[in-house]
Amino acid sequence: MMILSVRDLRVRAGEHLILDGVTLDVDAGAVCAIMGPNGSGKSTLTGVLAGRPGLEVISGTATYLGRDLLAMPAEERARQGLFLAFQYPVEIPGVNNVYLLKASLNALRKHRGEPELDAFEFLNLVRAKIRQMQMDESLLNRGVNEGFSGGEKKRNEILQMSLLEPTLALLDETDSGLDIDALKVVADGVNALRSPNRAIVMVTHYQRLLDYVVPDQVHVLAGGRIVRSGGRELALELERRGYDWLRFGPTAA
Amino acid sequence: MSAETVMQRIAASHAGQTAQLAGGAAWARRRELALARVLGHGLPDRRNENWKYLDHAKIAERAFDPAPRVTLTADRLAPCLLPLAAAPRLVLVDGHFEPLLSDADAGAGVAVQDLATLLSTDPACAMRLLREPGDDADDRYALLADAFAAGGVVIRVDASAAPPEPLYMLHVSSGSLPGTSHARVVIEVGAGAKLRLVEHFVALGDAPAFSNLAAEMQIAAGATVEHIRLHQAGTQSAQLETWFVEQQADSSYSQHFFALGGRLLRSNLNLSLAGSRAQCRLAGLFMVDGERQADLYTQIAHHGAATRTSQNFRGIASERGRGAFNGRIIVHPAARGADASQSSRNLLLTPLAEINARPQLEIHTDDVKCRHGATIGTLDPAQLFYLLARGLDPAVAQSLLTFAFCEDVITGVPLPELRRTIEELVVGRLPDRDVIRSFR
Ligand SMILES: Nc1ncnc2c1ncn2[C@@H]1O[C@H](COP(=O)(O)OP(=O)(O)OP(=O)(O)O)[C@@H](O)[C@H]1O
Ligand SMILES: [Mg+2]
Repeated sequence: MMILSVRDLRVRAGEHLILDGVTLDVDAGAVCAIMGPNGSGKSTLTGVLAGRPGLEVISGTATYLGRDLLAMPAEERARQGLFLAFQYPVEIPGVNNVYLLKASLNALRKHRGEPELDAFEFLNLVRAKIRQMQMDESLLNRGVNEGFSGGEKKRNEILQMSLLEPTLALLDETDSGLDIDALKVVADGVNALRSPNRAIVMVTHYQRLLDYVVPDQVHVLAGGRIVRSGGRELALELERRGYDWLRFGPTAA
Repeated sequence: MSAETVMQRIAASHAGQTAQLAGGAAWARRRELALARVLGHGLPDRRNENWKYLDHAKIAERAFDPAPRVTLTADRLAPCLLPLAAAPRLVLVDGHFEPLLSDADAGAGVAVQDLATLLSTDPACAMRLLREPGDDADDRYALLADAFAAGGVVIRVDASAAPPEPLYMLHVSSGSLPGTSHARVVIEVGAGAKLRLVEHFVALGDAPAFSNLAAEMQIAAGATVEHIRLHQAGTQSAQLETWFVEQQADSSYSQHFFALGGRLLRSNLNLSLAGSRAQCRLAGLFMVDGERQADLYTQIAHHGAATRTSQNFRGIASERGRGAFNGRIIVHPAARGADASQSSRNLLLTPLAEINARPQLEIHTDDVKCRHGATIGTLDPAQLFYLLARGLDPAVAQSLLTFAFCEDVITGVPLPELRRTIEELVVGRLPDRDVIRSFR
C-alpha cells in the first residue's frame, strides 16, 4: 500500500521557486531519509505536505492514503494521521503543553470515532510516554516549548508523535542539536513507531541517526528536486564525499 | 450634533437641577464656576492630542439630563455580583451612594461617608475633600462632574489599618432610561495602611446612559493599595472616568484594569509618584468586539527620587471594535534614580478592528532607567500553524492564542476567586469558549 505519493510538485514561497518538480513515493512500512544541502527545500517539502501557510503549489500532486492531500486544510491532515515534527518547534507561551497534548489527542480520537480520554486515562498515558522519552515531567506544565532547550524541544516533538501514533510521520531534522543520549532516545521513539501500516520520512544531515533508525531508502533533495535515490549505502557515500559529486542543479538528472 | 448644542444642553440641564442640590451657597458658587469653565473651554475633541481616537459623537448624542432616580432592591443586584461574599460592599446607583444596598460596616479602620449627606451636613469639609479640577483638557470631564457635584462616596482608611477583606465598590448604571450621571469618589489611605479595593461597573438596563466618574485617591507614606477595576457594563453604556492618584514616599499602588464591557469607555488615570521610592504597577486589558470602543489614557508623573513604574497593558480588538492605549510617563528632574517600564501589546483579530497605541516618555533627568515598547499585530501564523498541525480546530487555535496573549495580565489578579471570574469573562468573549474552558 502506498501512503504518500508526490508527483512533480512545484512550490513557490513569495517570489521564489523552491520545489521544482519533486516526485516521491513512500510505501506503508517504509522508513525513508531525505538528505540534501542547506536551503535545498527539505523543510519546504515537509511544510507543504503538512499545510504550512505561505507556500504556493504551482503544479503537481500529493496523494495521501488515496486522497488529495493538498486539498485538505492543515488540521484535517493532522487528524488523518499526518504528523510533522518541526525543525524549529515554535514557542507558545500561555498555552500549556499538557493541555495541547490532550486536545490534540482527543481531536484525533474524535475524528477516528473513538471516545475522548478522560483526564485520568490521559495522564497515565502521557506519563508513560514521558518516561520513555526520559523527559522531565515538569515540562508538561510549561507553555508549549516555552524556554525549552533545543534538545527538549526535539524530544517534545517526539513525545507528541508517540502519543498521536501517526500513519505518516515527517521528521524535519529531529536529530539536529541532540546529544548522543537524546539521539538514542529519539531513535527509540521512532523505531517504536515503525509498523507495516505506517511510514516515516526523516529529513537529516547526519549519517548518525541512520545508524539507529535504518532507512529503507535515502533520497537526496537538491535544487528543489530529488536528484538521487538509493539504499542506506547512499547516505554513507554522502557522508564520505559530500554533495558536490552529484552536480545537482536545475539540469541534474 | 454641533459642539454648541451639547454645551446648550449641558447648561440647560445644569439650570434645571442645581437649585435642588445640597451644599449651600459655597457649593452653588463652586458648581456655577465649574460650569462656566466647562462652557468656556468646551469638552475635549479630536483636536486634543490625548483625545484624538475617542468617538466623541457617541458622548455628544447622549442625553445630558440627569438619569431619573430609581430605587433598586438587592435582588436586582444579585445576578451581577462578583464572588466576594465576605467583602464589605459599597453600592453607587447612577452616581448616588445607596446606604440600603451597602454594608454599614466597611471593615476595621475603614470609614465610609455618603457624599450627598456630607454636602448638607458639612459642606466646608466636602469642599476641602473634593479636588477642584484644573483647566487642562484631560480634566474637563472631572470639571463637568464638579459642576454637577451631588452624589458619591468618601472612604477613609486609618493609618496602619489592614482590613482583612477587600472593599467591593459596585457602580451600577440603572440604564432604565437615557440620562447622565456624575459620581465623585474620594479615597484617603492612611500611612502604612493596606487596602484592597475592587471596583466593578455594571449596567442593569440597555438604555444609552452616560456615566461620568471623577475620582481621587491619596495614598500616604508606606501604604499599599491593590486596586482591581472591572468594567463589565452592557452594550449601550458610555462611561467616562477621570482618576487622580497621588502617592507619598514608600507607598505602593497596583492596579489590575479590565475593560470587558460597555459601548464606549474612556478611562483617564493621572498618577503622581510624589514621594521618594513610591512605586506603581499597572496591568490592564481591554477587549473590544462588535462596535465597542475602549480608550485608555494614563499619565504617570515621577516626582520623587527612586520612584518606580511598571506598566503592562494588552488590547484585543475584533469585528469593528476600536481600542486605544495612550500612555505618558514623565520623569521630572527631582526623580533621580527613577525606573519606568511600559509595555503595550495589542492584537487585531479581524481586518476591520482598529487599535492605536502611543507610548510617550518624557525624561528630564539623566539618572533614570526607562524602557518602553508598543506592538500592534495579528496572531503569529507560525504558532497558529503549529496548533493546526496538531489537529486543533482553527477557531479553537485562534482562541487559545488570544487567551494566551492576555493570560499574564489575568494571572496577576491577587484574589483567586476574582481571577477565575475574570478568566471566565475573557474566555466567554472568545469563539469556541466551551472548548477553551476545557483547557483551563
Ligand atoms: N517565504 C520565503 N521567501 C523566500 N524564500 C524562502 C521562503 N521560505 C523559504 N525560502 C527559501 O527556500 C529555500 C529552501 O528552504 P528550506 O527551509 O526548505 O531549506 P532546507 O532544505 O530545509 O534547509 P536546511 O537544511 O537549512 O534546513 C531557502 O533558500 C530559503 O531561504
Ligand atoms: Mg530545513
